[in-house]
Amino acid sequence: MGWQGRRVPSPGTWRHRARSVVSQLAAAGTVLVLFIYLSLASDAFITANNLINIGVQSAVVAIIAIGMTIVIITAGIDLSVGSVAALSGVLGALLVVNYGVAIPLAIIGGTAIGAVAGMVNGLLVTQAGMAPFIATLGMLSVARGLVYIVTGSVAVSGTPPEFKVLGQGRLGALPIPVLTLVLVAVLGHLILTRTKLGRYAYAIGSNVEAARLSGVPVKRYLAIVYIISGTMAGLAGMIAASRVNSGQPNFGIGLELDVIAATVIGGASLFGGEGTVVGTLLGALLIALIRNGSVLLDINTFYQQIIIGIIIWIAVFWDQYRRRRAAAR
Amino acid sequence: MTNLMRIRKASAMRVRLSVSVGCTAAIVLAAACSAVTVPGSGPSGGPKVKSSGPITVAVVPKAVGFDFWDSVRKGAQCAASKMTDVKLQWDGVTAETDVTGQVNLLQNFLTRQVDGLVYAATDAKVLAQVTQDALSRDVPVINIDSGTNPQPSNVPVFATDNIAAARKAADLLADALGPGAHKVAFIPFQPGTVTNDQRTKGFKEGLAKHPNLTLVAEQSSSSDPNTALSVTENILTANPNLDGIFAANEPGVVGATNALNQAGKAGKVKLIGWDASPDEVKGVTSGAITALIVQNPFRMGFDSVNAMMQTVRTGQVASSEDTGVAFVTKDNINDPHVQAILQPSCVNPPA
Repeated sequence: MGWQGRRVPSPGTWRHRARSVVSQLAAAGTVLVLFIYLSLASDAFITANNLINIGVQSAVVAIIAIGMTIVIITAGIDLSVGSVAALSGVLGALLVVNYGVAIPLAIIGGTAIGAVAGMVNGLLVTQAGMAPFIATLGMLSVARGLVYIVTGSVAVSGTPPEFKVLGQGRLGALPIPVLTLVLVAVLGHLILTRTKLGRYAYAIGSNVEAARLSGVPVKRYLAIVYIISGTMAGLAGMIAASRVNSGQPNFGIGLELDVIAATVIGGASLFGGEGTVVGTLLGALLIALIRNGSVLLDINTFYQQIIIGIIIWIAVFWDQYRRRRAAAR
Repeated sequence: MTNLMRIRKASAMRVRLSVSVGCTAAIVLAAACSAVTVPGSGPSGGPKVKSSGPITVAVVPKAVGFDFWDSVRKGAQCAASKMTDVKLQWDGVTAETDVTGQVNLLQNFLTRQVDGLVYAATDAKVLAQVTQDALSRDVPVINIDSGTNPQPSNVPVFATDNIAAARKAADLLADALGPGAHKVAFIPFQPGTVTNDQRTKGFKEGLAKHPNLTLVAEQSSSSDPNTALSVTENILTANPNLDGIFAANEPGVVGATNALNQAGKAGKVKLIGWDASPDEVKGVTSGAITALIVQNPFRMGFDSVNAMMQTVRTGQVASSEDTGVAFVTKDNINDPHVQAILQPSCVNPPA
């Protein structure tokens, strides 16, 4: 296994498309099977209310996971997303509660904090030459520390009811977190499939040297990728804060694991060069379905962890199996 | 006396050295130590007395980031501020599940030679070793909120009687729901921790006394309000005619309250909560929360630091204390004694 002997078809080619479709089919198949099973096992599963709940419950992880997908495509990783989401959430709430900032501005402010954290990650990776794992591991710690400093380690409460709109509001029948997710997903999909940024991301992840030699400004685009990831973490952090109408200092501890799991289940490869928004959405949906179904069937919390772990194994094993077969051909 | 103390210190240092040699050696030594302990005295005798001069006391919560522990801090700082020559060191890990992190933190405090250690054990069994370690260095220990297993006789516990209070939660739920059959859900927070397990035990004992209440769901919040929110939403989906919920700590209550509000079931599904963060208090006033079981964390911090001072200054080991709970409802929330617990201040400390 590893870098040698691996042939990655360049993005956009027929074989590359076929491979990511196969990968998504696996995730989609699992989602479908689980969906059918749960609708048989529980009367409450297929109700409008529950389906909306699943959508909202998956939104936070899915939004961050879309940013993470782009990072992982470049063969990078962003471990700081949980802490950054918490930082954005508490700062956004503080802006409203302590400084009387208008709520839309506070949401933008909170999200911007995420972008700044992402920029620092990007600079550490591109300018200081740190491995993404290390750079973002540092940020995981720094951002969490900042959260406790600015909040004094106490939840930021006292936000006005309008603060709830982003996480709890509805536009017609559709919950705003789900609409936000759809918007982010469409944008993410367009970026990956239709823009230079997307093409370069795949190129960098497939073979960074080749990308550099063919004139891709690797550093600039890598930095942009981490900024996107940070921004998504910031936005999701604001949604999470709005869902519980308060800035929670302990939000998002371990969230990066769910996020990375969603992208990997969706077919992204930690070796870079592969991953799609659709796959990631399926991965996030699968995790939310498992959590939802476990409660509907009153399955012990600990088993949920085991189930998610096993699904990660299966997804990665399937991925490597395809890879070996492709390489052998 | 001083010679004897020096010898004790030296032997404590030797113990430390072997600890660094290897874990196995340390465990064997500790086992040997506790085997020869004379009942009523610590492994190496009583705490060292420092009748005058500056004193440093470390106070370590289970985790920082919750209203509860912040009230403990305020109480501890209040006690320290009323005494001279006392320096308080407040530090904690960021997750109540980070047992190793807390062990390391406490060991660092011991290395820095604090005069007294006040802490809440994140894990009863694992932390027992740290307490032994402190006692063998003649550093007195007081546990707050959660003790260790075994609990040395010279380490008092300042805590809530969680089992009794959680039993009362079932009573409160039964009172709120009245006669007839009712479905209830339980949201614990961190299975495997002593406090969580005591509240679970107490609540289930309480439920057993009310056969008209059926427990239909039990899902952990992992002490995360967002998880609690999702879990409660899903419980409500699975049990559309749910009548009551008991959420056993602050994040669980915050998440459950939001879920009930969003489902339009606030006040209809009776929610009994625990702790008293501002959001929870708001829930009581709005009617979303029927009753809160409120501990007295300020008093926990205040009394334990006072007791630690006594121990360091006089060598007298304090005795354990039940710091008590209050049951806060819409009806009594403005009573002065309830307000003193909800909004503790150093000027008007809760009794």
